[in-house]
Amino acid sequence: MLGGYLKKAAILGLAATTALTTLAACGSSKDSSDGKSDGPVKLTFVNWDGGMKDVVDEWNRQNPNVQVELTKPSGTGYTLYNKLITNNRAGTNPDTTEVEYQALPALIANKVVVPIDDYVGDLSSDFDKASLAQVQFDGKTYGVPQNICPMIFFYRKDIFDQLGLKAPATWDEYAAAAETIHKHNPKQFIGNFTAVDAGWFAGLAQQAGANWWTASGSKWTVAIDDAPTRKVADYWGDLIQKGLVSPEPNWSPQWNTDMNNGTLVGWVSAQWAPNQLPGIAKDTAGKWVAAPLPAWTPGDQTVGIWGGESEAVTANSKHPAEAAKFVKWMNSSAGGAKILIEKVSAFPASKANQQLDALRTPPPFMSNQPDYNTLMAQQAGNVRTFQIWGPNANVTFDSYSNAFAAALQRKTPLSAALTEMQQATVGDMKQRGFDATG
Amino acid sequence: MSAIEDQAGPRPRPGTLPPGVGPRRLPGGLAPAFRSRPRGRRRTLLPQFLLAPAVLLFLLFTVAPGVYAIYLSFLKPQIGGGLLGNENPKDVFAGLENYRATLADSEFWHSILRMLLVAGIGVPATIFFATLFALCLDAKRARLVGIARLAIFLPYAVPGVIASLLWGFIYLPATSPIGGDHIDYFGSGQVFFSVANVAVWGVLGFNMVVLYTTLRSLPRELFEAAEIDGASELQIALRIKLPLLAPTMTLVTVFSLIGALQLFNEPTTLKPIANAISSTWVPLMRVYTDAFVNNDIHRGAATSFLLIIMTVAATAVANLLLRRISRRSER
Repeated sequence: MLGGYLKKAAILGLAATTALTTLAACGSSKDSSDGKSDGPVKLTFVNWDGGMKDVVDEWNRQNPNVQVELTKPSGTGYTLYNKLITNNRAGTNPDTTEVEYQALPALIANKVVVPIDDYVGDLSSDFDKASLAQVQFDGKTYGVPQNICPMIFFYRKDIFDQLGLKAPATWDEYAAAAETIHKHNPKQFIGNFTAVDAGWFAGLAQQAGANWWTASGSKWTVAIDDAPTRKVADYWGDLIQKGLVSPEPNWSPQWNTDMNNGTLVGWVSAQWAPNQLPGIAKDTAGKWVAAPLPAWTPGDQTVGIWGGESEAVTANSKHPAEAAKFVKWMNSSAGGAKILIEKVSAFPASKANQQLDALRTPPPFMSNQPDYNTLMAQQAGNVRTFQIWGPNANVTFDSYSNAFAAALQRKTPLSAALTEMQQATVGDMKQRGFDATG
Repeated sequence: MSAIEDQAGPRPRPGTLPPGVGPRRLPGGLAPAFRSRPRGRRRTLLPQFLLAPAVLLFLLFTVAPGVYAIYLSFLKPQIGGGLLGNENPKDVFAGLENYRATLADSEFWHSILRMLLVAGIGVPATIFFATLFALCLDAKRARLVGIARLAIFLPYAVPGVIASLLWGFIYLPATSPIGGDHIDYFGSGQVFFSVANVAVWGVLGFNMVVLYTTLRSLPRELFEAAEIDGASELQIALRIKLPLLAPTMTLVTVFSLIGALQLFNEPTTLKPIANAISSTWVPLMRVYTDAFVNNDIHRGAATSFLLIIMTVAATAVANLLLRRISRRSER
């Protein structure tokens, strides 16, 4: 009897598949047939930041002739970029997309995004050189920088106070605090070492003075296992070995719980953390305080970045001029930046907008720290990044998560994982035909 | 009666009914009488017509992409000029380079080993529990059969990704209701059991239904006869039902083996929460990583073509072996 049902279900399933396929075919042909029709220009924009809808709504209100439709990607980071690279061949990409700085070279190399100099003109009066260096390659501009995300140390002030601890000014102090915290309560940690966030580790390496990629002409040098990066890996490897730092990855249900219930009392993160924390540890609002990232030598104020994004126009866009205007408005006009600050908790990359009144109030989650954005402005000025992100940072990042996860799992030295990353990156660049050494 | 008629037809479809229940085993020698010539072989296009949609879809969405993938596997990307190589990049002929690279990569073989390990745990467990549940449900004294059957079948209806997310919560110490704070479910050895467990629950229900359906279609007279002869419920299950179930179990085993070779959803979903699982943990994850993470669709195509060859070979061997075993048990 059940067999009969199964058979019927199979037939129904087949019918449904056929119907869906037909529908999908109809749908896509409709999408692509839209050309220069009358009515407003329609742009699509993919972005995963919470609050981005307010920015888009404001643009749509001001520009009845260029209407932007915001979509959320099915996954963040490389899930999106890899989709963009794949869909580029099919010609189905949205008009504009957010691109984190480290991923832009890969998207350019794959011709997913196009130069926008003709549409946005000279950006050098709006942005400083460091920000433009993240979006300009071979003299062309491929995106408009949105924000600067200096790395920041967040800690649970209530618990630090109880133990008589202050925000660590150096990594030595961080290690000492880690010990105090863990000794006092063996279930508590000052933080975790995350094997799923290569950008996080890259930011720490930047602070230490690493330069994973350098380019001159079309020659590349890759140095992921250089001395500064090794120093960072050995430092964390030591803390993990002593059991003072948890080896759990970020963003898992486990991590959310640990962040929320006070198992993890510190987070080496970045400027955007208050935008994420409500979803991670909602019960801890008002208990976290942001402090400058600990330094390697006392007094050194250099910090790396974790994240930070630009908005770019895709090669698939039929309206690149309008799309470029939209991203320029969003990231360099006072009107766009104000909403980014208020709704997306961004710290703007555009120079003039770093003085906006909106920055005088902290993000809601940090209401206990009124001068939050003053600290961000300070730290944004101390940022040091790599000279350039490699055209295959995706390979490097994937290799990071595999190699570091394996090292944490097997309790082997983290610096050996760097060798693996280095080999994977150089091997891939050579295979693609880049002139790479390292 | 109708079951017998089906069996006597010209082409008994394997799987829908166990060949083991051949008519010649029935008392009274009824079967030969029904072995009439197939009714009027009129020339009609109806079968072709009915098959056409399936064949068309198969050609369009399986064969065509497959052929394209094979074509892609012989190419490789060649960057163009400029710092980022974005001036006129193109794909060039690579010969067997992609295949050589995959075969020479020890991580590829490790991923196969890991998959086999999960299969080695998961497939026997699936068959054992599916058979056990089917026999229990078919037992004479079984109560609440409908609800129990649904309960066992239900996990099959949960999409693999969702099931893996749920199991992720169940395994992680902070959220585990099953002692995750004492047992490390993502330990280097335990992780194989943890992944196999998710996969087993995903397919157990389906296999149980297949086996149960077979059991229900067996002639009841056999069991009644055995009961009259004084056989206990357990004896009927082990001595009569199990041998008759063997051909279907063969089929189910082959299906499970193929399913195991396609392991992807479960480890992929668990990867971000477990340091023990890499992005190349099993072969299909490696294909995905090559093609859509490392952006080397050609290497991915070569690896997947190698996997297809291996899968077909493994299936053929398994089928052959299991058929031989079941034929022996039939005798």
